[in-house]
Amino acid sequence: MPDTVVKDIEQYTEINYLTSETAEFERTDGGFLSLTTKDGRKYPRVDLYRAFPFTKPREYISVREPESKEIGVKAKEIGVIRCLDDFPENIAKLIEEQLDRRYFSPMIIKINNIKEEFGYYYWDVLTDVGTCRFTVRGGHNIVPIGEDSGRILIIDVDGNRFEIKDYASLDKKSVKKLESVI
Amino acid sequence: MGQLEVIPDHIKAALEYHEIYPSTIKLAVNADLSVDGNYCDIWIAVTGTNLVILTGAGGNDKLKLFSGFRESGGKSKNKGGGSRQNDAGWKETSFEEYPLEKVESLTVDNLASTGMLTARISGEDIAVCCFTNSHGRKVGSFVRLFEKIKQGQELTKEDFDEVQSLEYCPKCGLLYPEQDRKVCPKCIDRKSVFLRVLSFVPRYKLQLSLIILCMFLNAGFNLLFPYLSGTILFDQVLTEGGKYYGQVGMTVLVIVVARVAAQLVGIAYGRINSGMTVKVIFDLKTEIFSAMQRLSLSFYNKRQTGSLMTRINNDAEQLQSFFHDGLPYFIVNAVQIIGIAAVMFAMNWKLALLVFIPTPLIIISVKKLFPKLWKIYHRRYSKSSKLNALINDTLKGVRVVKAFGKEALEVDRFSRTNAALLNVDIGLGKLLSTMFPFLGYIMTIGSFIAWGFGGWEVVNGKISFGVLITFINYIGMLYGPLDFMTRIVDWWSGCMNSAQRIFEVIDAVPDITDAPNPVEMRDMKGNISFRSVNFSYEPNKPVLHDISFEIEAGKMLGIVGHSGAGKTTIANLINRLYDVDSGEITIDGVNVKNIALRDLRANIGVVSQETYLFMGTIAENIAYAKPGATMEEIFKAAKAAHAHDFIIKLPDGYDTVIGRGGRDLSGGERQRISIARAILYDPKILILDEATSAMDTETEGLIQDALDKLVKGRTTISIAHRLSTLRNADKLIVLDGGKIVESGTHSELIGLKGTYYRLVQKQSEALKMRGVGD
Repeated sequence: MPDTVVKDIEQYTEINYLTSETAEFERTDGGFLSLTTKDGRKYPRVDLYRAFPFTKPREYISVREPESKEIGVKAKEIGVIRCLDDFPENIAKLIEEQLDRRYFSPMIIKINNIKEEFGYYYWDVLTDVGTCRFTVRGGHNIVPIGEDSGRILIIDVDGNRFEIKDYASLDKKSVKKLESVI
Repeated sequence: MGQLEVIPDHIKAALEYHEIYPSTIKLAVNADLSVDGNYCDIWIAVTGTNLVILTGAGGNDKLKLFSGFRESGGKSKNKGGGSRQNDAGWKETSFEEYPLEKVESLTVDNLASTGMLTARISGEDIAVCCFTNSHGRKVGSFVRLFEKIKQGQELTKEDFDEVQSLEYCPKCGLLYPEQDRKVCPKCIDRKSVFLRVLSFVPRYKLQLSLIILCMFLNAGFNLLFPYLSGTILFDQVLTEGGKYYGQVGMTVLVIVVARVAAQLVGIAYGRINSGMTVKVIFDLKTEIFSAMQRLSLSFYNKRQTGSLMTRINNDAEQLQSFFHDGLPYFIVNAVQIIGIAAVMFAMNWKLALLVFIPTPLIIISVKKLFPKLWKIYHRRYSKSSKLNALINDTLKGVRVVKAFGKEALEVDRFSRTNAALLNVDIGLGKLLSTMFPFLGYIMTIGSFIAWGFGGWEVVNGKISFGVLITFINYIGMLYGPLDFMTRIVDWWSGCMNSAQRIFEVIDAVPDITDAPNPVEMRDMKGNISFRSVNFSYEPNKPVLHDISFEIEAGKMLGIVGHSGAGKTTIANLINRLYDVDSGEITIDGVNVKNIALRDLRANIGVVSQETYLFMGTIAENIAYAKPGATMEEIFKAAKAAHAHDFIIKLPDGYDTVIGRGGRDLSGGERQRISIARAILYDPKILILDEATSAMDTETEGLIQDALDKLVKGRTTISIAHRLSTLRNADKLIVLDGGKIVESGTHSELIGLKGTYYRLVQKQSEALKMRGVGD
């Protein structure tokens, strides 16, 4: 391969890691984060994504321009945060706030009841954001993630997602109720 | 005028407190999640001058109800529809107001599993609120209608008609769990499902009455034996002074004749029943299949077609087994239990009472133990299908496994899954070998009681030996039916679920149907026009945005764009595989929604990149769209598509069977056959969707000539990646992100030096590179 091509690829695949030295995040009045990078570029709003939402929620966070509605303008990745610990606590908290908003999904702590009727499962659960009652269509809407992670994703009739982090860590009664439906 | 949401009274009151009166509200929507991740009750309204955001929380803010539930206190425990969070104790937490002229735009961001409404106010993005997917559709409509208001347009009733709102069962108020299925799972109970299944039976009235007769005869004979071989044989025949004392031969003969008669009845019943159930299920399956053909594409997109087919097949078979084995035995057993009980009580009520003592115990243990067994069976099933999936997966990917040298890893993965299955199997074995002896023991308790108490009575001369023997025999006959009865409940509910699922398909309402008075258009000219067409497969993910263009009859339109730009979607809309969300598509000035579907499809031919050939011969496949075609016509079509030469060289020629067990054709060959199919179909409007993508450049060149001939005199819409395919297009449109970014002739677009120009450049560069490589 010609040198220029190699250089191109390197440039293309290079990951720009953001740390507290190279990036300055600030909360905007509108509830987003703005970013000023070391090279002086200022982004009035950035969107944050987790590369590994489940296994590494505090690591490898992609900082991107918001998707534009305009045609032909592709939102770019500005950089990647290797680990939230690379930032002071107050900034890390701001970033986590944004991430929690994007990846919001109730974590089931306890299953009060699951009632089956005509192929629909009526769930009544306690989650980290309060008690939720929702309806799940039978079939493939209770999805164990991975081989033995114990993580279970539950998708209701509207496409809302509920999660069980590790079903082995639920109390016995909840496990029993869960096992009756999977 | 319409509205998106019904604003509840307490919200109206809260708004009035801020001097916002219902009459000034043009548009309002409800959301349910704050930007910091708490469920709450948010109302966003547009008044004549302002955008208003009212946030509050219900009395019980720690309880969140999703579709299918409503606040407790209704007539049914929790389920039901209609009302949202209760209004008692509703408290306002914040109120914001922005002048409309400062609100530049509203957008919906799709988050991981929720959505967010963002407003751009005076150049800055403001996160207004988040919402769960239950509110996604309405918030999406809100944003679209808001844009209309911003542009100074008045909202009309139709704007709100387009918004699909959730529908509820009119009888009980339950939210239909599935909106495209207007079936209330509560009001349609198992009984009515059962009755509906039975409604397939009356076509076979004669068979049915014969079956019922046979069943009663069968039960009667069964009841007779213990009496004949017990009381009659011992007390009347073998005992001195009995009515038939000494007539052993006669008695045995009667018993034998009765047995034979019973067997004959059984055989007759079995034969009639087999014939009938199979026919009933056959009728049912036919109905399912024709229902599936009627349904729109979106039905299939929502479900996996494969699983749908197996599910329906399994369901039908389960139903068949229930009708074949379940229901008749239920009747026989019920008659038998009642008969046995009646006879026993008539003979000796004290002994009968004692014998029935362990019955509840049996029912309880069966009820307790069997669910355990089902659960283990279920687990075993899921483990073994996991193992099968793994084997399947690895075998399919064997090239990758070998290429990366990961055989050991795969073996390891396999043994882990296999071990899981092993563990379940061990558990199952242990349960089985404990459970059945235990149940068997419990079931014999009744006999022990009869032996003990009855024997004592015989010794005391209270009852005869024959009565005791009859009792013991009856007890033996009792437990089979009892066991059956405890299990039939589960079986029944399982089967009714199956039936329900089958009716689900039969009852599904196709999204795309003929208009009430469809316009018949046998011969179209082929003027096509798109006017401000918007379309999305899923709410808030627009695929086409404000698409407008015209094609004159007989002209060719080329559609260019990156993958995912919405090219194929345009083709799907013309064909009415889907309906537009807003805007309209007309052919010869008539909205496609009003054209009779049959005429629409008869005038449009599609050659798509997925060439689907049916099981059957090549000739049959070419003639698929025109069943009466002559051999000459088929030849001509094949020749035009440059398929004739390769077909002739096949050992079976045009008789070559494609599909399972047949010969495999290459992608290019398949495409040529489907082009031949379209040529034979001779439609007024032709859609070529990457019709030549699987061919090499040389063949494509040849085909292109054929297509050029085919295209003449028809309206053609050609979608292609390879721009050279479109060289003859009268007009080109360039799509990007669901919008038309450029349109015009080839030279006009080149002159623009825009997206099209860049695409052309890129492709010619790529060709040059290949040339260098050679």
